[in-house]
Amino acid sequence: MPPWIASLALVAPTAVLAVALLSIVQPGLRPRLVLASSRVATLAAVAVAIAATLVVLRYGALTGPLIGVAGIGISVRLDALSAVMFLLVSFIGVIVVRFSGNYLDGDGRQGAFVGGLCLTLAAVTLMVLAGNLAQLILAWIATSLALHRLLVFYRERQVATVAARKKFVTARLGDACLVGAAVLLTYGFGTTDIAAILAQARALAGGAVPDGVPAAALLIATAALLKSAQFPAHGWLPEVIETPTPVSALLHAGIINAGGFLVIRFADVMLLSPPSLHLLALVGGFTALFGGVVMLTQSSVKISLAWSTIAQMGFMLLQCGLGAFSLAVLHIVAHSLYKAHAFLSSGSVVDIARAAWVARPEARPPARHLLLGLVLAFALYAGIGCLFGVIVQEAPAVLALGAILILGLTLLIAQSMEGGSDIRVVARTLAAAGGATVAHFVLQHGAAWLLSPALPPIPPPGPAGLLIMALAVTSFAAVTLLQIMAPAAAGSPAWRATRVHLANGLYANAVFDRVVGALKRRAAAPL
Amino acid sequence: MDACATATHPLQVDAGPMAPAVAPPRPGSHLLAAAHAAGRRVAPLWPLKHFVAVNPFLGLTALDFVQAAESMARTAGARMTMPRSFYADAIASGRIADADLAAALADAGPARGIPADIAGLKAAAISGTEPTLPLLPTVADVASAAMGVDWAGLARDRISGWAAGYFDEGQAAWASAWRDLPPYAAWRAEMTVDRTPEVMGLANVRRIAKDLPLTAEEAIIESVAALGLDGPALDAWFHRLLMTIGGWASFARYRVWQSELYGASDTALTELLAVRLGWEVVILRALAGNIAVAAAWAAARDEIAARREPDPALAVDAILQSAFERAWQREFFTALRTGGTASASPRSAVQAAFCIDVRSEVFRRAFESVAPEVETIGFAGFFGFPIEYVPLGQTRGGAQCPVLLAPRFTVCESLDTDDAEEARQLGLRIARRRAGKAWKAFKTAAVSSFGFVETMGWRYAGKLATDAFGLTRTVPHPSEEGIDAATQRRLAPRIAAREVGGRATGFSDSDKLDMAEAVLKAMSMRQGFARLVLLAGHGSTTVNNPHATALDCGACGGHTGEANARVAAAILNDPHVRTGLAQRGIGVPCDTVFLGCLHDTTTDKVTIFDEDAVPSSHAPDLARLKGWLQAAGRRARAERAALLDIAPGAGVDAEVARRSRDWSQVRPEWGLAGCAAFIAAPRERTRGCDLGGRAFLHSYDWRQDEGFKVLELIMTAPMVVASWISLQYYGATVDNRVFGSGNKVLHNVVGRLGVLEGSGGDLRVGLPLQSVHDGTRFVHEPLRLSVVIEAPTAAIDAVIARHETVRQLVENGWLHLFALSGEPPVIQRYMRSLQWQQT
Repeated sequence: MPPWIASLALVAPTAVLAVALLSIVQPGLRPRLVLASSRVATLAAVAVAIAATLVVLRYGALTGPLIGVAGIGISVRLDALSAVMFLLVSFIGVIVVRFSGNYLDGDGRQGAFVGGLCLTLAAVTLMVLAGNLAQLILAWIATSLALHRLLVFYRERQVATVAARKKFVTARLGDACLVGAAVLLTYGFGTTDIAAILAQARALAGGAVPDGVPAAALLIATAALLKSAQFPAHGWLPEVIETPTPVSALLHAGIINAGGFLVIRFADVMLLSPPSLHLLALVGGFTALFGGVVMLTQSSVKISLAWSTIAQMGFMLLQCGLGAFSLAVLHIVAHSLYKAHAFLSSGSVVDIARAAWVARPEARPPARHLLLGLVLAFALYAGIGCLFGVIVQEAPAVLALGAILILGLTLLIAQSMEGGSDIRVVARTLAAAGGATVAHFVLQHGAAWLLSPALPPIPPPGPAGLLIMALAVTSFAAVTLLQIMAPAAAGSPAWRATRVHLANGLYANAVFDRVVGALKRRAAAPL
Repeated sequence: MDACATATHPLQVDAGPMAPAVAPPRPGSHLLAAAHAAGRRVAPLWPLKHFVAVNPFLGLTALDFVQAAESMARTAGARMTMPRSFYADAIASGRIADADLAAALADAGPARGIPADIAGLKAAAISGTEPTLPLLPTVADVASAAMGVDWAGLARDRISGWAAGYFDEGQAAWASAWRDLPPYAAWRAEMTVDRTPEVMGLANVRRIAKDLPLTAEEAIIESVAALGLDGPALDAWFHRLLMTIGGWASFARYRVWQSELYGASDTALTELLAVRLGWEVVILRALAGNIAVAAAWAAARDEIAARREPDPALAVDAILQSAFERAWQREFFTALRTGGTASASPRSAVQAAFCIDVRSEVFRRAFESVAPEVETIGFAGFFGFPIEYVPLGQTRGGAQCPVLLAPRFTVCESLDTDDAEEARQLGLRIARRRAGKAWKAFKTAAVSSFGFVETMGWRYAGKLATDAFGLTRTVPHPSEEGIDAATQRRLAPRIAAREVGGRATGFSDSDKLDMAEAVLKAMSMRQGFARLVLLAGHGSTTVNNPHATALDCGACGGHTGEANARVAAAILNDPHVRTGLAQRGIGVPCDTVFLGCLHDTTTDKVTIFDEDAVPSSHAPDLARLKGWLQAAGRRARAERAALLDIAPGAGVDAEVARRSRDWSQVRPEWGLAGCAAFIAAPRERTRGCDLGGRAFLHSYDWRQDEGFKVLELIMTAPMVVASWISLQYYGATVDNRVFGSGNKVLHNVVGRLGVLEGSGGDLRVGLPLQSVHDGTRFVHEPLRLSVVIEAPTAAIDAVIARHETVRQLVENGWLHLFALSGEPPVIQRYMRSLQWQQT
């Protein structure tokens, strides 16, 4: 297969970009042409993405020729990773563009809005397809700037402006890290071609690492943490729901995971710098728990979803930090689909509330139910794992992540036994838990198989790595236990105070607000 | 406890200042009375689970329209009329004629600042100068202005965030701390811990909060002293404070309303005022060192105490608005005078009662035009049955009656078959729900959510695609949740009396008969029953729409009218009831069958329930009826298509159905947008008139009304509710910022009870902008309701004189009242003080 075939993938971002250009002509109310062409262009992008995936599956990875000079320009890298991301972004594109057609009907700037969505989609697509560092950086920055325009779509909304400003500051720091990393990588490996850099890095494994490469890895990790709204740079994400719902869906499904994508894209480089991976695992693991707990305290559906994203991105970066890159890709895809749906359907919570028959889960499962749940969850995991015939040979990182699934299933099973055991409830729940466990193994091995040409295998952990794994499992277990025990302790003063601190995200965002002068700006607003 | 809170029954929609029922007077009791009075000026906000239209000026109806406009301007910066340019355009286009301006001017009478003639009035409209009244200042306002830092916004956002947690009805899995305390105490406790205000630059807030009093009443009294305020004008200033958090105040007002409806009391509103006052004290004390703030507040205190002359500009606005309404009434009366045809046959083939809702008018007209032998009737869609309808598997249900009433009967949803089958299905539903609950915990808990996403996230690929193309619903419809479709179709209200969970449910024989008699009399139906009588409640079909219940039946308390219609039909079909009715002088023929139906206002489809109960002798009638209903539906959809931007033609039906399943649709239907008139008269008066889906039609024949009891009922209940709806739309149109909920694309459901616009700010009230505006124009024209009643003016006067609520509405300019009589029709306009004027 000639490499130039890969360049044909550029048809997708070009088509979507064309809609963005068209929106300049038709920026306003009921832009029929923009709406129709946006639907066609995004569907065409999905078709191209499917074709590209088939090419990769059939012929393996390839890099299209560079259109540009001195290693700077546009080239398409098609491999398992970029194909998966390409498919994901295109699919989300179809959904959000279609959604916006009716959702923003009657808005005086609907054309500009859909154009902005398309511009952002084109930039993200160019980023995931990037074959060289220059394209990656430019598309990365372009994504952020295009998104920024969408975040301040209603310019008169002061809160939106402040939130976008915080996002802007964080994003520019991330850009600086990425540019620094690119310079160091180019210097260290003598090329801007990403495939070449990865090949060299993989060949170096265990050998002498060129100067600057560990620093580049650290910068990549930092850029990822900033991009994916990790503590303490998370404050902007819950606030940018000040923008129409489809933007939130696109942001949470297609853009926020750019940090993870970056790390996974340079997985071979990252493996040369264990401290960078440890940084990702520690910050990501902490943010996962922090975000997950803060989410529980939020009273509005969209903000709750935003905190969930912060947590899920933390978990995904923890996976990266443990070297489980294929699992991280799986998590990105699964989370994107879930979160896009959650945002777009967020108006349905009222239906859920109308159907609710018990106000809230206050009861605490007794210890024996917990223990029974744990035993059953473990039995499911081990039993199904053995059926797959794989459990004994798994890497420690995979087992650590499996332990986190077991914790979740324990909660599920214990919950089903709450308030008197009804065999039908327990049976249904066990079946669901079994289904989840099967899905876990199937997806995990599917992802590993699919992505194995593009991604390095999970490395054997060093002592520090093992320590981090142990820390992760114990802290996740502790939080699970705390959550189950919470209702009993809820009345104590310390627990109440803790909830206030957590509900305010440990004030990290308030500090950021103070720094960017959030209140100063708003003083001019009408009352 | 606030002793005043229990004093007013909600049915008495009197919101004026109350004489405090506290004796003996104690220090600060005048402040508590002022606090109470301020709270009464806030209109309640129903939660989204059963969102109903509310008059946003409910607490102000004791005031004249212009006075109320001034009050809203000073407390919320609100406008109660359109911008002057709107009226200038209407004058320029000829829509408002000189005669309208002259009449409106004459109504208002000469006064200071009112133009002397039409030319002056036109000049005032064209000048485009909007009245600007300064808001009553708060400490937060003056500190913000003095320092250029938005402390007012901080106070609003922090209170809103706290209130969202405190009032949360199920969003947060880890509920807000201190919900076991009353609101003010809970807030105070949180303030002693929360570091946000200090991070944002207000020093020592936690320590200041510790010094605040422990209870709301003490806090109100002490805060006023701490702020250096006193004097009689504080109720207006308290109202101003409540309006800075107007959405949450409205929700608290709802809680008070509900409690009082059931004879209890609730202090949430006073407590909320104490919270807002607490913020005033906190800001003042935290910024005590700032001389500019202290000076600004000293000046502001004088402004609060000062008496102000009313601004004549608002009166000019009101005159222009009246002229606009007169212009509309002119066209409306022309239609009314020219239309009207008597029913042709002595016994109609079918009688069909629909809700008075304006959406019924379109369908009724379509129905009558496809089947001239049909007689349609308008009546409140709960058909006189105030029930609490308990869904299968639940212990409490929604109140399916106008929100002015508390339900009198409890009716359970049940399976039509034997009890054993019902118990089995019930067990299954509960099991499914419990398994669903465990699964939801797995999905959302702090740690398990990672496992959920990883193992189950991929499934949303299919869900996204099928939801996007309208093939699936985002979540099951609440009535179908946990139950399979076949069983769901077999569920019906159980009429028979039975005790369930210690509560009496269903109807006793005497209740059945009394209710049947009352309903038929209220519908002016005593003879001439057709073989088939439809009782059609209504509901809407939308997906992913937080305000879905706003499109359902307001007379059923924001639920669909299905249960009420089925209950009414079942009882009216009961042979014992028929015998009893005959004894009471209402002869329902043996061959008359009542049918409980549901009119879907989004798709204009009518579903007939309990068809198996229809005797086989009526099968041909039923088949013919179904054909008519389908034809009428097509016609109604075609009429509505124009406003929905659907191209006319064969595709309309499919497109309407598609919209009703579209998760991204912000205007699945136009609801009651356009509502402008309420007509209580026999259908013959309006039959054949195209009222454009803008009129509430209540069937009423005063000749059958002994002692004008039905008239009294109509004027105190359906007319009041219609005015609520009309003013809800009016408010959302004239000032969506204050009386509406803003842009739907930014809505963020909070606490499962209301919406925020975006990430923060106050809870939003009322209708979204999309519900009244199509992007180019307001589809709802701001018109106060024109009520036309065919009855002797003396009888109408008697009702006005007897009911303070009604008197306020008609005297203070909250609606226009007309009496209809004679043939050809003569229409008289109610002026003030029981005076009528020929139009």
